[in-house]
Amino acid sequence: MAQKSNKQSKRMDTPMSEKSRPVRSKKSVGIGLPLEGSGTLRLPAVAKQVPFPIEALAPKVRQQTPAVGQRATRPDGRLHGLGQTKYIDDISFPGMLYCKIKRAGISSALIKKIDTSEALAMPGVMAIITGKDIPVNSYGPSIKDQPVLADDRVFHAGDGVAAVAAITEQIAQEALEKIKVEYEPMPAVYDPFEAMKDSAHKVHAPASNIYATKLIKKGDVEKGFRESYRIFEDTFSTQMVEHVPLEPHCSIAAWDANGRLTIHSTLGRITLGRTDMARTLQLPLSRIRMVATIVGGNFGGKNEITQEPALAVLSKITGRPVKGTFTRVEEFIATTTRHPINMHYKTGVSKDGRILARKVRLVLDGGAYCSWSETTLGKACILSPGPYNIEHVHAEAFVVYTNKTMTGAMRGFGAPQVCFAYESHMDDIAEALNIDPLEIRLRNAFHEGSSSPTGQVLHSVVVKDSLLQAAERFGWKEIR
Amino acid sequence: MTDVTLKINGETRSASVPPETTLLKMLRENFNLTGAKLGCDVGDCGACTVIVDGMSVNSCLMLAGQLDGREVLTIEGLATHDRLHPIQKCYEDCGSLQCGFCGPGMIMSSKALLDTNPNPSVAQIRDALAGNLCRCTGYTKMIEAVQESAKVLRGTPARRAAKANG
Repeated sequence: MAQKSNKQSKRMDTPMSEKSRPVRSKKSVGIGLPLEGSGTLRLPAVAKQVPFPIEALAPKVRQQTPAVGQRATRPDGRLHGLGQTKYIDDISFPGMLYCKIKRAGISSALIKKIDTSEALAMPGVMAIITGKDIPVNSYGPSIKDQPVLADDRVFHAGDGVAAVAAITEQIAQEALEKIKVEYEPMPAVYDPFEAMKDSAHKVHAPASNIYATKLIKKGDVEKGFRESYRIFEDTFSTQMVEHVPLEPHCSIAAWDANGRLTIHSTLGRITLGRTDMARTLQLPLSRIRMVATIVGGNFGGKNEITQEPALAVLSKITGRPVKGTFTRVEEFIATTTRHPINMHYKTGVSKDGRILARKVRLVLDGGAYCSWSETTLGKACILSPGPYNIEHVHAEAFVVYTNKTMTGAMRGFGAPQVCFAYESHMDDIAEALNIDPLEIRLRNAFHEGSSSPTGQVLHSVVVKDSLLQAAERFGWKEIR
Repeated sequence: MTDVTLKINGETRSASVPPETTLLKMLRENFNLTGAKLGCDVGDCGACTVIVDGMSVNSCLMLAGQLDGREVLTIEGLATHDRLHPIQKCYEDCGSLQCGFCGPGMIMSSKALLDTNPNPSVAQIRDALAGNLCRCTGYTKMIEAVQESAKVLRGTPARRAAKANG
């Protein structure tokens, strides 16, 4: 109690509270928090911190229940087990229509003609749209290179070319077979190294296939190699991985008579999804309401919109809610995947196994669209030298367009791939130098105050403790 | 249209559905039993598992028409209004479910196993759950939950009460 009153009087003493009060009422932004500086709202809006009773009422950190060592159960676990959790596919609205999307099935082509007349004549088919019906047919978290439905070009086999809304899923599925699309096949490129050549087919001509790069330099890597006792060189590669959430992508769009759009969706990032919707549909943000339903597995695969603008347009045309659920096949061909990375490592070490210099070259296969590639590229590149003290580092990374399923965010954003590479490389070095694999890691690992390849000084570093404890727990020495 | 009359969770129900309708679709759309989930629609993931005449089946691979006169148990038929089924309780207590999408299928497969084998080995549990995929938590806690619930189901009422209190 004494503490609390102390705090309050302290707050009264600060000159700020007196001065800021009138300003606060003028510049409030709805939730009553003052804006910083000139009054222009910068996003993301971080309100200036004001000492408010919230702080005084919250228990001190040490007074809170210690979470570590406690058994945790999920508050929603019971509903899951009862089968009563309403995932999006368990929700339906009166008069709801079902959407199915026709996939191109060809990885690079010009669309000459789409004939929807036969499909549209089918009983139960309410509307069919193509890329031309989407107001702004492009989206993406960084580079807006992905169409909702293909315009006149197909960039990979999973591209949607037309979307059907029908009164049952079965009818929508049957209608897809009656949509006739004429393609003129175009050259395609599937290998990232091929795609990097000047002579290669440009996936998004005239732009270069290399759409993002990153370079990290620390010290002088050539000098490091000159001083090294031995130099090791190796190439590692990983494959494309799909998230396979058990729940497929699904959304329901309802465009009401007031011109407001409500989207129920499995999206993990609804605010981002909302801006993408506003852009593609040319609607003000205030007209779009996104409702996030319980997500049946995301893993990074539900970070951006997919079919939602098409559902919205179908809903506007038909005046009914429209639900679209991806099939498992669509999950594999038309949603993002994990980047396959080709990783070239060159490492110079001293006689006692300390890494003196490391040169890394990463080539990420980005697939047909950028999606979260820039983020993945950055993280992969920053983490590629590994959690080791290395004086001389040179890491470069490229992400390349190919005519394949696009790659994007997935658990770790590129970190698991490079971890596989640098740890495999480390084992090879240990074996060649005849040093225990644990020992070579302990000699090189980050310690408190180490600086990362980008110069960040690291705190709370427990790599060595973790390694030693793990080794002790599973009996590393005994196994050897 | 195909007319089907069947027993679902002890209740006689009937429906008239198009011949291509699967059991899963009929349960979800005609009877609003959305506990069984559509994950892959080809019998790979097991999210749609229900028990038909004592056998666990992928309801996405069974046509509604095949169900005429048969008995189906879905996840909705396990708990009573005031009490969870021991398997559901153990899944909850062991923290076996994360996103929960695979949960109903997992629990139904576990039920089918424990109905025929009250004391399964870990290998037998793994075998029984092999048709159910999970992408979040992994299977360790589920195996733990099945072992726990097997104990509860085998136990005397006194032991069960002790378990519930402890």
